[in-house]
Amino acid sequence: MQTTSIKHRIWNRQQKIAPYLFIAPFFLLFIVFMGYPLISSLIMSFYEMRGFQSKIFVGLDNFTDLLRDPVFWKSLWNTTYFALGTLVLQLPIALFLAILLNSKYVKGKNFLRLAFFAPVLVAGVFVAIIFNLIFDQRAGLINNEFLLFGKEIGWLSEGRYVMPAVILTGVWQWAGFNMIYFLAGLQGIRQELYEAAAVDGANWWQCFIHITLPSLKPVIAFVFVVSMIGSFQLFDLPFILTNGGEPADAGTTIVMYLYKNGFQFMRLGYAATIGWVLFIIIAVISIAQLRLLGIFKEE
Amino acid sequence: MRFQIDSDSFPLGKGPMVMLILFIITSVFIFSATEEKDESIEFWIFANTHYEEYQARVPIFEALHPGVNIKLINYGGSMHDKLLTALLSDFGAPDIVEVEITSIGRFLKGAINEIGFVDLKPRLESEGWMEKLVVSRFTPWSYGGKIYGLPHDLHPVVLLYRDDLFKAAGVDMTKIETWNDFIIAGKQATRDLDGDGENDQYAIVLDRRTESDYFNLLLQRGAGFFDVEGNVVIDSDIAIDTLTFFTSLFNEHKIATPVYGTWHGDPSNFAAMQDGRILSILAPDWYVGILKSQVPQMAGKWKAVAMPAWERGGRRTTTRGGTMIGITKQCQNPDLAWEFLKFAYFDKAGLINRYETTRIIPPLKAAWDDPIYGEPDAYLGGQSLGRLFIDLAPDLPPRYQNPYWSEAADLLNDAIFNAVTEKQTPRHALTEVAGKVRLIISKDQERWGHN
Repeated sequence: MQTTSIKHRIWNRQQKIAPYLFIAPFFLLFIVFMGYPLISSLIMSFYEMRGFQSKIFVGLDNFTDLLRDPVFWKSLWNTTYFALGTLVLQLPIALFLAILLNSKYVKGKNFLRLAFFAPVLVAGVFVAIIFNLIFDQRAGLINNEFLLFGKEIGWLSEGRYVMPAVILTGVWQWAGFNMIYFLAGLQGIRQELYEAAAVDGANWWQCFIHITLPSLKPVIAFVFVVSMIGSFQLFDLPFILTNGGEPADAGTTIVMYLYKNGFQFMRLGYAATIGWVLFIIIAVISIAQLRLLGIFKEE
Repeated sequence: MRFQIDSDSFPLGKGPMVMLILFIITSVFIFSATEEKDESIEFWIFANTHYEEYQARVPIFEALHPGVNIKLINYGGSMHDKLLTALLSDFGAPDIVEVEITSIGRFLKGAINEIGFVDLKPRLESEGWMEKLVVSRFTPWSYGGKIYGLPHDLHPVVLLYRDDLFKAAGVDMTKIETWNDFIIAGKQATRDLDGDGENDQYAIVLDRRTESDYFNLLLQRGAGFFDVEGNVVIDSDIAIDTLTFFTSLFNEHKIATPVYGTWHGDPSNFAAMQDGRILSILAPDWYVGILKSQVPQMAGKWKAVAMPAWERGGRRTTTRGGTMIGITKQCQNPDLAWEFLKFAYFDKAGLINRYETTRIIPPLKAAWDDPIYGEPDAYLGGQSLGRLFIDLAPDLPPRYQNPYWSEAADLLNDAIFNAVTEKQTPRHALTEVAGKVRLIISKDQERWGHN
């Protein structure tokens, strides 16, 4: 009788502890690999390093230096340029593809879905190498096949063409990925809404404006926010495509500048500062986007 | 009291129990594994061609030193970042490592005792190696009176030119002695091929995106970005004069074309060469290797000549690129590492093998007598390229290293582009960069003091 009661008590205690034990690995890993580096990089942004051991407290110097650093502003502009390009070019294309693949008139949908989605499976470095050849001034596909302006465009050698080249590459790589989100959203819209609208005599455009877009709002908000965050963290594509951001930093993004400072110049404090400023920029933009799209409003 | 744990009484059932047991077993296995006990040397490499060379050479060294195990790791381009992390965390660095010339600067920051490499100067001097090597090639790996690496190469630069097309333009390139001669010849050979009023066959291709070709010319004149004492000389009179000359090749004389693509090794640059748009290029030994592998069909069309000098009788070469091998302070057996260093860089048989595959000429003077360096090169129409490089080797300019190299080069990339595209005058571009670099250095000196 007593044995069963002890056994029962141990069992009860195990039942209480076990869930914590099972979730412990995540929290341990999170603290070691995320929490600690986060805190340590925040502390680091108030220090500067030189060499492998000399660390010195510099207060807000890194932040004030950053505000006066023309390359930081240039890289911020380049990154914003890319983000805007994503917004006005990539996402509409993704939505258009989704609508196309959702229509009953298109054949071979499964194949096309896979085809449009496939580029995202290719690692950014390989994409950059392939597009380096495509944008090649003399031998490249674009200048050879589409001599639109009657002259060779130095996509990667003239400053003003560099970010457009990066944006176009981004469209190729990511439009199909965002298409999948839109497609899922489109398939969730109730068919009766369109039928009711048709009864009322609505045309295709009116259906799109009054049914499709409002119904897609949560998906659009999600894709916008995630794309913006991804755009502001852009690194590998321009890094490989432009061979380090030249000419004249025309292809340097914020994360590339962070990398340069941290690893090439060994200014780890300054790099940490750039990281935290980037975090603030992304947070502000994301919150603003969600507000503008009315996601915080209660229905 | 009997108490048993079986699969049914274990919380949440059988699955979690199996996972926990596997976890415990692997943990025990991982933590009980001990380090290899034999004499092991870890060697990190960033270049594929070097890796292939050492794969063939390491077994020979291991046979000469029984019980020694050399572990080669090729990390490619990201190796320098990994090395930086390992030195920062004071853990996990290799015993031996090869470092590229534009990357070494950042490793030399901080007080002398913090630098992560072993000073090789005492060993080099006591064993008499300094006299046996081209002494200017130690400058990229030296700082503050210490030497942190052995030089892998000389990388002398020659002018590679299209023999057929210069001849067609009535120019004998072997008669060119100075840059002024080159400008006159270049104007003769630069042409508008399709009659649209714009030149499309240029006498020379130069990189305006980066400091590379400008630095070639600057070094040729015995100048640089930093002097031997570490002072910033980016805005010296000689530098401003050199950049003015560099921009004049594009803008005033119109005999230079910017590099097609992102650097001299891009496919579009090779395409432009094949189309006859590029008639010459400043080429170090390793670039000839790239050219051969990328455009083998151009064999017989190129020839090499010493670079034009700045004045008659002046220096006719410069140097571009380089690699060192060094021992890190985390190395447990520096004596053995030193033996391997010498085997990898100073063994004649290995150096001949290296020349056969990469065309790289070694800095070890005694190796130059080998007949292989005099062999005619079919790619260059039977010219003996090795001999030309070796003849120029004793005249190689020093290239002084500096902890602020990366910052300076990064700013100079923009300055060169701005000067060539006439957004800034050469003087303005260079004084601005020099000011910025001095500011970075003085700020560090304010914080840490002079050391």
